[in-house]
Amino acid sequence: MSLMNAKQYEESLRKLNFNVWMFGKKVENVVDNPIIRPSMNAVAATYEFAHYPEYEDLMTATSHITGKKVNRFCHIHQSVDDLVKKSKMGRLLGSLTGCCFQRCVGMDAMNALSMTTYDIDQKHGTEYNKRFLKYLEYVQENDWTCDGAMTDPKGDRGKAPHQQDDPDMFMHVVEEKKDGIVVRGAKCHQTGAVNSHEIIIMPTISMREEDKDYAISFALPADAEGITYIMGRQSCDTRKLEPGTMDRGNQLYGGHEALVVFDDVFVPWERVFMYKEWEFAGQLVEQFASYHRQSYACKAGVGDVLIGATQCIAEYNGANKASHVKDKIIEMNHLNETLFCGSIACAAEGHKEPSGTYYVNTLLANVCKQNVTRFPYEISRLAQDIAGGLMVTLPSEEDFRSPEIGKWIEKYYRANTAVSTEDRMRMLRLIENITLGTAAVGYLTESMHGAGSPQAQRIMISRQVNLEEKKKVAKKLSGVTKDE
Amino acid sequence: MSKKHRIGLKYCGGCTPRYDRVQAVGYLRERLKDSVEFVSYEDPDIVGVLVVAGCPTACVDLTPFKQLPVWVVTSRQEVEDFPATIRTGGIGNELKGEDDSFPASSADS
Repeated sequence: MSLMNAKQYEESLRKLNFNVWMFGKKVENVVDNPIIRPSMNAVAATYEFAHYPEYEDLMTATSHITGKKVNRFCHIHQSVDDLVKKSKMGRLLGSLTGCCFQRCVGMDAMNALSMTTYDIDQKHGTEYNKRFLKYLEYVQENDWTCDGAMTDPKGDRGKAPHQQDDPDMFMHVVEEKKDGIVVRGAKCHQTGAVNSHEIIIMPTISMREEDKDYAISFALPADAEGITYIMGRQSCDTRKLEPGTMDRGNQLYGGHEALVVFDDVFVPWERVFMYKEWEFAGQLVEQFASYHRQSYACKAGVGDVLIGATQCIAEYNGANKASHVKDKIIEMNHLNETLFCGSIACAAEGHKEPSGTYYVNTLLANVCKQNVTRFPYEISRLAQDIAGGLMVTLPSEEDFRSPEIGKWIEKYYRANTAVSTEDRMRMLRLIENITLGTAAVGYLTESMHGAGSPQAQRIMISRQVNLEEKKKVAKKLSGVTKDE
Repeated sequence: MSKKHRIGLKYCGGCTPRYDRVQAVGYLRERLKDSVEFVSYEDPDIVGVLVVAGCPTACVDLTPFKQLPVWVVTSRQEVEDFPATIRTGGIGNELKGEDDSFPASSADS
């Protein structure tokens, strides 16, 4: 089954035996849990839209291994066109779901591994790339969702992995067996973890020889024995347990993150893609991070939803004709399209690596993500400016439905008489959801720290710009002849 | 009644469309219902392919269709002009009336 639909994806998840915890209790039915369910819906959309003729051109690609049509999230980029379409797919899905749809991280992990495993083999004569391609074919054939897991807890940031007081602060091998390895550690902030069939582990930083036990990469079924998921909280999360759905903001979709603990988990050799080749840990991190920084085109898609909601609320409030409101909407669009520019640019300037995989322009990918750490905040500020304070002082849906007091809300929170009070409330809740509710986890803080915090991009930018060439031209044009 | 011409339909992926592509195809289906049947671009029995792109970039890969006539529409205006365009190629001659333009939707810019 190389292209599942939403229903098939949901049924495939039901077959998994996850060990998931939330609010101190084990979650027995992950798929139907009301807090997790909207995030499952968002991943399901990546399956369903692959079958829509109007989205298929972005949502699918042709496997370079089998020649079959596969979901683009399982594809290894074979051209610049593939890279550009990946950026466009991110924007499309963000604009359709208004949230993080969680599936890009696995795609980025697989594309990075397609290059790093090849390069390790070239140096060490290993067979990681062959293993990886076999695994990739398995993922493509089953249309799996993969969680690409990079971020270790890291412990004391001033110490290398081998120097930590607690050796488990970075994922590491604790035992080597004839048929595989045993690993221990944890991965934090794992987006879409319990909506995934597979989990792909990568190291989180560059390493030295002393850290070689930590230089490991592998893949496991997401419900493998010894893996525990502890769900992260999101602001306003328990609104999903309340009667009525209006106060959720987004009626359909959401995201989730989890702390994933590996308590002495066995990994068979055929699923190990890096084992103590410490000098390649940094390369894998950089390649994954560059792809993932490109992936943030999705935030332009979420921005589309927020801009749409802001224009609606301006109309519902009767303020849409005010010149400053129009100008603020223009500014929101300007910032949003600038986000998209970066993602498209790093894809359009991509190139072919020795493995055959196409790789983004890393300078532009870092510039893209640096913008993403800032612009969604300004877009959100403008949305809140236009929405007005009611967005955070609005009574609950239960008050609105109350036979005793609902009439007062209906009366006093009506603005444009052509629009119902309920519709106005719904739009305000959507803006609240994206800018400070459950979806703000993805739209704001994930924009800040996902795929590396802002300083990580600034370091990469400083390494890659050619300052000497810029100085040379400046000297020439200004008539400076001395080479100092 | 003559046999309808079968035209394969291929959309771009729709990342930032400037008009409602699905509504546009609905308009064309209705407008050309007497002469054209729109089917999948993968259908082996088609006389050509209509590419419905959301913007002038029209990023659809046309290589698979190089043996066939290909029409590309990238805007509301080009959608409205499409019946006249294919009529010059002998398709859609049964059409009468020219004034039922593709209606604007709230999604259009």
